[in-house]
This record gives sequence, structure tokens and C-alpha cells, in this order.
Amino acid sequence: MTVVAQTAGQGPRATARRLAGALHRRPRLRLALLLTAPLLWLAVLYLGSLAVLFVSAFWTTDSFTSEVVKVWSADNFHTLFTTPVYRQVILRSVGVALAVTALCVVIAFPVAFYTARVARPRWRPLLVVAILTPLWASYLVKVYAWRLILSQGGLCDWMLEPLGLSGPGFGLPATVLTLTYLWLPYMILPVHTALAQFPANLLDASADLGARPGRTFRSVVAPMVLPSVAAGSIFTFSLSLGDYITVQIVGGKTQLIGNLVYSNIELDLPMAAALGTVPVVVIVLYLLAMRRTGALSSI
Amino acid sequence: MEGIAIRLQGLRKSFGQTAAVAGVDLEIRDGEFFSMLGPSGSGKTTVLRLIAGFETPTGGSVELAGRDVTRLAPFERDVHTVFQDYALFPHMTVEQNVAYGLKVRRVPRAERLVRARGALAEVRLEGYGRRRPAELSGGQRQRVALARALVGRPRVLLLDEPLGALDLKLREQMQVELKALQREVGITFVLVTHDQEEALTMSDRIAVFHQGRIEQVGAPAEIYERPATEFVASFVGTSNLLHGESAQRILGSPGTYSVRPEKIRVLKESALADEPDLAGATGTVAEVVYLGDATRFLVDLDAGGRLTALQQNLETSAEDVAAYRGARVRLTWHRRHAVRVPGAR
Amino acid sequence: MRITRTLRAAAAAALLLTAAACGSSGSGGGASPGGLNPPDLKAPSALGRTEGQVNLIAWAGYVEDGSNDPKVDWVHDFEKQTGCQVHSKVAASSDEMVKLMKTGEYDAVSASGDASLRLIASGDAAPVNTALVPNYKDVFPDLKLQAWNSVKGKAYGIPHGRGANLLMYDTQKVNPAPTSWSAVFDDAARYKGHVTAYDSPIYIADAALYLKATRPELKIKDPYALDQKQFDAAVALLKKQNADVGEYWSDYLKEVSAFKSGDSVIGTTWQVIANLAASEGAKIKAFVPKEGATGWSDTWMVSAKAKHPNCAYKWLDWIVSPKVNAQVAEYFGEAPANAKACALTGDKNFCATYHAADTAYWKRVAFWNTPIQQCLDGRTDVKCVPYAKWVQAWTEIKG
Repeated sequence: MTVVAQTAGQGPRATARRLAGALHRRPRLRLALLLTAPLLWLAVLYLGSLAVLFVSAFWTTDSFTSEVVKVWSADNFHTLFTTPVYRQVILRSVGVALAVTALCVVIAFPVAFYTARVARPRWRPLLVVAILTPLWASYLVKVYAWRLILSQGGLCDWMLEPLGLSGPGFGLPATVLTLTYLWLPYMILPVHTALAQFPANLLDASADLGARPGRTFRSVVAPMVLPSVAAGSIFTFSLSLGDYITVQIVGGKTQLIGNLVYSNIELDLPMAAALGTVPVVVIVLYLLAMRRTGALSSI
Repeated sequence: MEGIAIRLQGLRKSFGQTAAVAGVDLEIRDGEFFSMLGPSGSGKTTVLRLIAGFETPTGGSVELAGRDVTRLAPFERDVHTVFQDYALFPHMTVEQNVAYGLKVRRVPRAERLVRARGALAEVRLEGYGRRRPAELSGGQRQRVALARALVGRPRVLLLDEPLGALDLKLREQMQVELKALQREVGITFVLVTHDQEEALTMSDRIAVFHQGRIEQVGAPAEIYERPATEFVASFVGTSNLLHGESAQRILGSPGTYSVRPEKIRVLKESALADEPDLAGATGTVAEVVYLGDATRFLVDLDAGGRLTALQQNLETSAEDVAAYRGARVRLTWHRRHAVRVPGAR
Repeated sequence: MRITRTLRAAAAAALLLTAAACGSSGSGGGASPGGLNPPDLKAPSALGRTEGQVNLIAWAGYVEDGSNDPKVDWVHDFEKQTGCQVHSKVAASSDEMVKLMKTGEYDAVSASGDASLRLIASGDAAPVNTALVPNYKDVFPDLKLQAWNSVKGKAYGIPHGRGANLLMYDTQKVNPAPTSWSAVFDDAARYKGHVTAYDSPIYIADAALYLKATRPELKIKDPYALDQKQFDAAVALLKKQNADVGEYWSDYLKEVSAFKSGDSVIGTTWQVIANLAASEGAKIKAFVPKEGATGWSDTWMVSAKAKHPNCAYKWLDWIVSPKVNAQVAEYFGEAPANAKACALTGDKNFCATYHAADTAYWKRVAFWNTPIQQCLDGRTDVKCVPYAKWVQAWTEIKG
């Protein structure tokens, strides 16, 4: 009687154990079970949507009904490359992304150098937190704050007034400035980490061999931190290239590629898709370029 | 006439409240293999960094070949350093590492290459030029660091515990190579080490550091056989001191005396040892340590104090020596081997 | 809620009439503007029993049941009185409205001028028997049977409310006070970098409206019916204006802040923005310049496939009833359609502020319409530039 009850009680548990044992003996099965869901997610939702984007760029729209006509044609891409305004906007967008990235590098280096090497060690984590804090604030709040700063008679004008200057107002410089502010932490963090881990004796070694600080920076620090800078630039570049809200708020009349996608999406989905593939292609090219620096392994 | 490569005068360096170097005067001659020996925290590495220019002294001066370089940056001094962990540039090849100093000094590319290869040959690393430091073993990296520091033919080469990270066999081999290399290139080598054996093997002269000061400067034999202070006596070789009362009883005069363990013979208590130039004392064997080629006896003296004696195992075996534990013995040594330590209290 | 006006304006980017297709096939017969020839649908002659529920498509802020703001609720009383349970779907654009209406799942929609004609032409919206909507009699006459809510004298919906696109200027910085749109076109350089304009292709009509008055040789009759030559002239004017524009606005908050800070000193606006900016201390004035203005007007329409037509008619009557029309107009910030609503607004000056009863005012307003190939002004000898081209041109104007 007791025996029967016991076996019954242990039934499910024994099965579970057998199952666990089976899984333990078959690592491939285990891996498959573990990865199926995330891989499906990646393939179907992520790559799938990219594929749909690309495919739909080859469709057209009925100009009367604005309904998508599923007939293959490269018209959209033809328009894209032959219409001067599109070319101009694409170049402007890439230019903004590059400018933001360059500014981020220039600003991030001294800041990261300070937080990683100069500041007292017990202050460093706090400084890193301080750098990250803006990331917790809402994107829109930050951009609107910059709108206030850059507006007529705003903080920027007020500070430049004694010098007989005025702020840049709304426009392309304001956009670059605001985007730089927005994405700066993404650049500082990897550079900070790289500098924090940078072996101090390499600086000594370089100086010892006769290199002045500038030379040491160029030949030793920069090449070793470069992968991290490249990693950070992947964020600053792609986030800038995809942005269309900041430019609406502080960009004055400037339009970037995101704005074109946005304004086409209701009326001409295929054209919007064609426009949308441009940043994707640019970013893929950028990633390929950055991969050579070893950036992808330091993200 | 031998010139002075390095002259330190009243050198002091404090980090906050701690004085790492508390007044060092030292002259190192041209072409000398000079060691700075001391336990960790004794200030020897700080002195090295002061010579290299990585630190600025709190007081005193550093002269290189008669020129005051106290306030000069590292890159303005004709001194190269081999770092404890080599500090090779990981993003450069071995050849680029070695040629870096030349490149910085704008040596033409072709000459740079020839000299870098030559330096690599000197440290027996021909054909490794294209590799990255990460692809080398510890000993190989050590030699790259050496080649990198030597290629520019500095007046002085500073070596900061260069062999510390190597295993025993390799270390012994490198000691010999380093010494040979130094003789070959004729550059002044300043070696920082905490390993007394290393210092004794390679150096022409040794400075023993203790608490930011130099306790004694001298040739290895001098340091070993005639330690100037109690600290030197105990740090270099095994501490074997006879103090006051027991010294009075055994040697006939008070003071502190050092007797090196290998100079002491262990005899049966009954053995007669009343030769005039021999000193001796009786005691009980407290511990016997079998070392393979030798045996170490720790003997508690009847006159007070304890001495260590080292005996070659010429005829004895492990079983024989074990029988000595607790035995009564007589220790004897030549009177001249009991060296008075002048600096001791 | 007022921000939805922004969305819908963006959705002016959503027109393109199927109508045009119909029109082109029957180019001989179209007597009505644009040559619209919708399917022959009948409006009901009498109402039957209510069906117990009604499905609505609306702009945000038009069908409020208190879930956004407990004080803003005109749905529950309707449900109590009629027994019609309200299910509403908020649409973000005119395009979405049209798409949703095509499903046949919905009974009524609050369509703007850019969507209404499409629904009529495609047969998705049925004519409305205004006799079955008692409150229709109180709707301002100048809203009845207009180009965007009727075809050939047949009503296709009940007007909901309207607004004009005004010229707003900073009274301290703009001297002398402007009287004409020339202030933002030919004379825009005086306020270089501080001129603002509405960020939508439909703004091309504003330029056309100005050209209609200032360049008679272009013979513009309707700013939404532009042939290629007229269109090019409008686009050229806007490209010239672009040099002086500080920024385009599509978000009403953005314009309020720009006028408050002085980044913008002159440009188009809506009454609600002008009120808000003034209430926040901006020294501004907004008015209809001598050339007139563009504007917008919304219409409640009934689906041709409505499953609950009786409840839909009840809703149409309810939403233009004086009390509710006053509520919705005040909440949204537009001029109500029902004349009697003016007595019931919370702010007694509301109707005056929004010119609700000012017929002369609205006479000068060209309400948004959908540019199609078939010229809306009745011309048949030329083709007009369709909205898709307006969108492209707008991108090029901004550069």
C-alpha cells in the first residue's frame, strides 16, 4: 500500500528528472530548445520586417487612391537617385550623422579621460552615473529643453551676448548640437571604459622611449582606444541618421531623411520604404567599415 | 677613467604622508651593472622611477652623466626602462615595438628596420618581428622589452624586476644572458630586484634599500660577507646573528655578529674544537630541514640565541640527518667568519 | 486634444480621390465641381427602431466618454437617451478613416474635407436625409451643402465644426501691422529667419490663395484646383519664402513656444493656437488678411453599409445638438456648427472668439479640399496637379 502511494507520488518528479537527464546528454537538443524562440523572434520579426521594407520599396502606389500596387519596378530608387532634393537630403543626413559623431568623439575624449584617469578613484563611479543620468530623462523633454536654450533670447543667446555674438538659432547647427548632446553618453561610456582599462605603464613606456605626450596620444592611446571610439560611433552615427524628431523641434526648416520617410508613409508607402532603405544601407556600410577597426568586439 | 652615469643627491619622494624615498645619495658608474636590492616598499622602485623621470622628487636631485635632469620629463632623458610587466604595445608588432623609440626620434625608416632587427638578434628573437606581443611567451616578451629598451643605445638601462614574472629555470637562464648582454653592449644597467640571489649573481655593485634609505652599497661579496647593518645581514642571506650577551660568551666581546650558515660546521658535542682560530658553541638541535643537496640545522645555543647551520650532504642521507633532531651538538666556525655588524645596536 | 488637429493636418497628406477615376470616365456628364459622379445611393426616408449600438470612426476628441477627462463626457448621456451603445475608434489620419470605412464595420465617421469626397465617390458614404436630423436646421447655413459635404445638392453629411488658418504676428516686432499675406510672401524678407509656415503640402494652397489675389493673370479660381502653370507659380513663391522661414510648424505647442520666445514673429496659425499663445503672455494678433484664408471643416457621414443606421442618425443628431456641439467645439477648439451652441458654451465669448456666426468671415475662407487631376473648379480644358504631386513639391520646397 505504502509502496504504491510512494511510486505514484514520485511519478511526475521522476519524469522530470529523466527529461532533464536526457537534455543533459544531448547538448544540441538543449541548445535548440533554448534558441528556437529568440531566433524565431530575430528572423521573423526583425529580419522579416527589414525584408518587407526592402521588397515594398519595389512596389508602386496608385496615384489616385494612394493604394499600394504590387507590381515590381525600380522607379522609386530611380526617383531617389535622380531627384536633386532627395540626394541633397540624403547627403545632409549623412553629413549630420558624421558631424555629430565627430563632435561626440572630440567632446567624449577629454571627458572620459577625466572620469577614467584624472578624477579621484572614488568619484569615478559617481561621475559615470552623472554622465548616464541624462539617458534616463525623456528624449522629448531634453529636446524641448534645447529648444528653449537655443530660442531667441534663450540661454545660448544670453551667454553669447557679452561676446557680441548670438546663438545659432534653429537650424542645422542646432540640430547637430542637440543630437550631439543626446548621444554623447553613448560615446563617453565606451571611451571611458577603454581609458579606465588602459595600462598606465604603456604611457610611461612611450614617454620613456622618447615620445612627447602628443606623440604618445597619437601612437599609443588613440590606436588602442580607437575600437571603443568606433563602437561608440556606431551608436552616435546610426541614432543620428535615424532621428527625425529632434530636427523637427530644433531644426527650423531643415529636413532630414527621417522626415522624408515620415511625410511619405501615409501617402506613398513604397517611396517611404525606398527612402527607408537608404539609412539601412548607409548604416550597414558604416558597420562594415567599423568592423575593420575591431569595434564590433568592443561594443 | 670611469665616469659617473647617475648621481643622486639627497633624493626624497613622499606620497601624501608616506615617505617612499627618505634621502638617498648614490653614484652609479658608467658601464656598471648596478642592483638596487630591498624588500617591497623599501623605495627601490621609486628611486628607479625618479631616475627615469616618471616621478618628480620631493627633494634632492638626479644627475645623468653630469647633467641635472631632476625637472626633465622622461622623454628628455637618455634612459630607457624595461618594465616589470614589459609594457609592450599590444597593437604593434614585435618589430614596431622595438622600432618605436627610433621612430619617435625620427630615425629614417630603413635604418630603423636594420637596427630593430639587430636588437632582436641580440636578444635571440630573429624572425619574431611580425608577431604581436600576445603571441609570445613570457620569456620572449621579456626579451622584446629588452630589445626595445636597448635599440636606442641609451646611456643607462633601467630594469624594474625584469625577471619577476618568469619561472625559476627561465629566470636563472635569463640572469646569465642579461649579464652577458650587459658586458657585450657596455651600457650601465640599473636593476631593481627583491631577489638577493639575483642581485648577488649579476651585479658589479649592490645597494641595499630599507625604509626609503640605502643601508649599504658594495660589491656582492662585500654585502654578503660584511653586512654593514643588521638589516643587510638578515635580508641578504639567512639571518644568523649573535647578539650582546651570547656574543660576549661565545666570541669574547659584546656586539652583534653575523655568521653565515654555510660557514658553520656541526659536530658531536664531544668533539674537541679548541683550535685558536676556531670559535664554537654548544647547543641543542631544535629542527632539521632536509634540502636534498644540503641539510639545515636550527640550533638553540646554550649561551642563548639560535644559529642556523648549513651542511652539504657529502656522506649523510635523509634518515641520518633526521636522527639529529633533539641531539646535543657543537657548532664551530673560523673566527674571521663571525663578522661584526657595525650599524647594529 | 487640440493636438489632434495636427495629426489630421498631416493627414491632409492622404487624399487622392477614387472619385477622380470615376470623374475621368464620365468626363462629359459631371456638372458638379470636380466632375464627381458618385454611385446612386438612397438616403433613408424614415428612421426605424434603434439597433442598440453604433460603431464610430472619429478624430481624437470628438467622441469623449470621460475616459480621458472625467469632466469631458457626452457619450454616456447619449447612450442613456437612445439605448445605443457607442463603440468608437480613433483614427490618426484621413487615410486611416477611409481604410476603416471600407471595411463596412463602421456606421459613421467624422471626415475632413480631404477624406469626405473620397468616401462619397467610392460609394462608402451614403447620402444623408437631413430631415431625419432635427438639429440640422440650426446648423449655420454657410456650412450646408458645401463642396466637401454634398454632391449635386445632395447632402452627404452633417457639419461638425470649422476653423480658419489665420495670419498671426508679434505686435511688438512686426511694424506696421500687416493686412495682407504679402507679409509672409513678397515681404517676408523683412522678418528673415522669423517667418513660420504650416508644415504640410496643403500649405501650397495658401500660396495659391495669395496668388489668386495678387497675380490675376494666373486666373486661379480655387486654390485646390491648380493647373501646372498655377501650381508652379505657387511652388516658386514658396521656394522663395523658404529662404526667410525660420521654421515650419506642425505641432501646435511648437508654434506657441516659437511666438512666445520670438523665434517666430509672423506666419499662419489656428485660432486655438493664437488664443493659447495670448493666454501665455505672447503679444500677438491673429486675423484673416484681405486676401482671405484657407481653413478646414469636418462632416459626420453615414456608411453606405451601416449595420446600425438608426443609431448612426441618432448620433449625428446628438453631436450637432446645441449643448453637445458646444461641448465638443470648446474641448477641441473650433467653431461649432450649430448656431444655438453659442449660447451654451462655458466661455460666453467662445463663439465670438472663433467667429462661429460670422458669415462674412467664413466667406473669405477656402476650406481644405482634395486636389485631384480633375480640376475642382470645373475647368475641363486642363488637368490639375493631383495631391501626390503636392506632396513631392512640398519636399522640394523645404529642400
